[in-house]
Amino acid sequence: MMLGFSDSWVFAGFAFTIVSALFCVVYGILNWRKGGIEKEGDYREEIQWEREEIELIEKLP
Amino acid sequence: MFYLITFTLIYLAITVYFSYLGYRRTVTVSDYLLAGRQVHPVTMGLSYGATYISTSAIIGFGGVSALYGFGLTWLSFFNIMIGVWVAFVIFGKRTRKMGKALDAHTFPELLGRRYESRFIQGFSGLVILIFMPVYTAAVLIGISRFIEVYLNIPFSTAFLAFLLITACFVIWGGLKGVLYTSAFQGIIMVVSMVAIGISTYYSLGGISQAHRSLEAIAPMVPHYLQEAGHRGFASMPQAFSSIWWYVITTMIMGVGIGVIGQPQLNVRFMTLKSDRELNRSVPFAAIFILCTTGVAYAVGALTNVYFYNTYTELPLHAVGGNLDKIIPLYIDRFYPQWFVALFLVCLMSAAMSAGSSQFHALGTSLSRDIFEQALLKGKSVAETTIVTRIGIVLSIFATLIIGLVLPESIVAVATAFFFSLCGATFIPVYLFGLYWKRGTKPAAKASILSGFFVSLLWMLLFHEKEARAFGLCRKIFNMESLAGHPWNMIDPQIIALPISFIVFIVVSLVTHPVREETVAKAFVHI
Repeated sequence: MMLGFSDSWVFAGFAFTIVSALFCVVYGILNWRKGGIEKEGDYREEIQWEREEIELIEKLP
Repeated sequence: MFYLITFTLIYLAITVYFSYLGYRRTVTVSDYLLAGRQVHPVTMGLSYGATYISTSAIIGFGGVSALYGFGLTWLSFFNIMIGVWVAFVIFGKRTRKMGKALDAHTFPELLGRRYESRFIQGFSGLVILIFMPVYTAAVLIGISRFIEVYLNIPFSTAFLAFLLITACFVIWGGLKGVLYTSAFQGIIMVVSMVAIGISTYYSLGGISQAHRSLEAIAPMVPHYLQEAGHRGFASMPQAFSSIWWYVITTMIMGVGIGVIGQPQLNVRFMTLKSDRELNRSVPFAAIFILCTTGVAYAVGALTNVYFYNTYTELPLHAVGGNLDKIIPLYIDRFYPQWFVALFLVCLMSAAMSAGSSQFHALGTSLSRDIFEQALLKGKSVAETTIVTRIGIVLSIFATLIIGLVLPESIVAVATAFFFSLCGATFIPVYLFGLYWKRGTKPAAKASILSGFFVSLLWMLLFHEKEARAFGLCRKIFNMESLAGHPWNMIDPQIIALPISFIVFIVVSLVTHPVREETVAKAFVHI
């Protein structure tokens, strides 16, 4: 009996659920500072994207 | 009633304030230049989670878990591993970079620009426009079943009333500040679901004891379910039995994998500034999913112990076979009135956060993907606003009709249907678009079409659940399904997804690649 389950598949699903959440937490902590700097410091593309996004939102009800 | 009105008013006031705040934050480009729009990882994580997990997961899949038991815990594992980690890390990072480089603002637009195809954008938009209302209806049915049980009013009245509230909210401002409101709604969901999880396990004597009690009532499983492969609520179904195929391929894999093709979720990645925000959002989204779906599926199964100990009958019988009523009835019978009102607010949060992003995806699909790109060949005109409004009103009507027509115990089934259809249609083109430069435009078209039509054909002629409901197979061939066990139980995605993958690879190898400039532009930041 593992955590009250006698079916090992159910226990595995239960355990994997918790382990996968922990894995995501660890992943987040290890990569907390990574990926902050983009390849190019040119933000014109981002500004253009943002401008268009605002236009798109404005067209919604 | 006092609690209900108080909680609802407080909730609506805060939601309206957040949606106003969110809208104001997106008004000026200068805000963005001053980094005013940096999305906090907690906001992103919660917002993504609240969009992903709706009433459908809590009410629909909670009810399914009450019927099939703890086997559904594998779905919460898939929800976290595929729905969060794979979606964010494998797909999200490249989606963000490619979305910015190609100036894409909707999921169909990302695919359309990556493969230089207006057809792909238009067709993908059409799939969303036609089939997403089925999922939206499922989300709204979830909360309406709760209102039906709680206020003791007819389902159709509850459904109509809640659809009207959501429609007003969406039309008045829900679409404009989706990110902030859904993060707030996410917090309410986590708090209420954790409270339900802890109280359920506590009152059953702790985790191990609760599971043991569930094992002990295995002999109570109705005979017809035992014959179909049910081995008790704390066990997986008998391997390769009809229930096993259904639980594994439709409930666990259909939804667990299909999430990757969900347009309203993928579009979220494009709003982030850098990979750092994405990395930081992963833990919050994962914890959110654990606290909501993890709890919902476990509590769903454990309701069997509660109902059996109190009424010596299973919840399945207490609700007259309608699975969508099990969680509402459990909360209504076993919790104090103030908590029931709070739970209703939790469901409202879940329905509105998912609903508003679905209507957002519907609106943008219609205005940008179908109207401007596919019909006007790339022109942007003032009439778009009117078309979008009409489109959203029509989709609200479609949702209304679908919601009233659909049978009982449908929430999880309708959700699985939409997830599975999107998965088979979009996953190969999306994955190869992000990772394989050699993928071609004809391959993308063929893959989308084959994924979509194989799914549809499988549903209409082979997969017994849908084939029986639509009745087309009966009319043409005078039988419920063209195939016997196990094929009639295997989810359409399991058949259609490999086919659309193979079609993409084979056609890519024999056709001309997408122009080099387009590929270079798409991959410029990768």
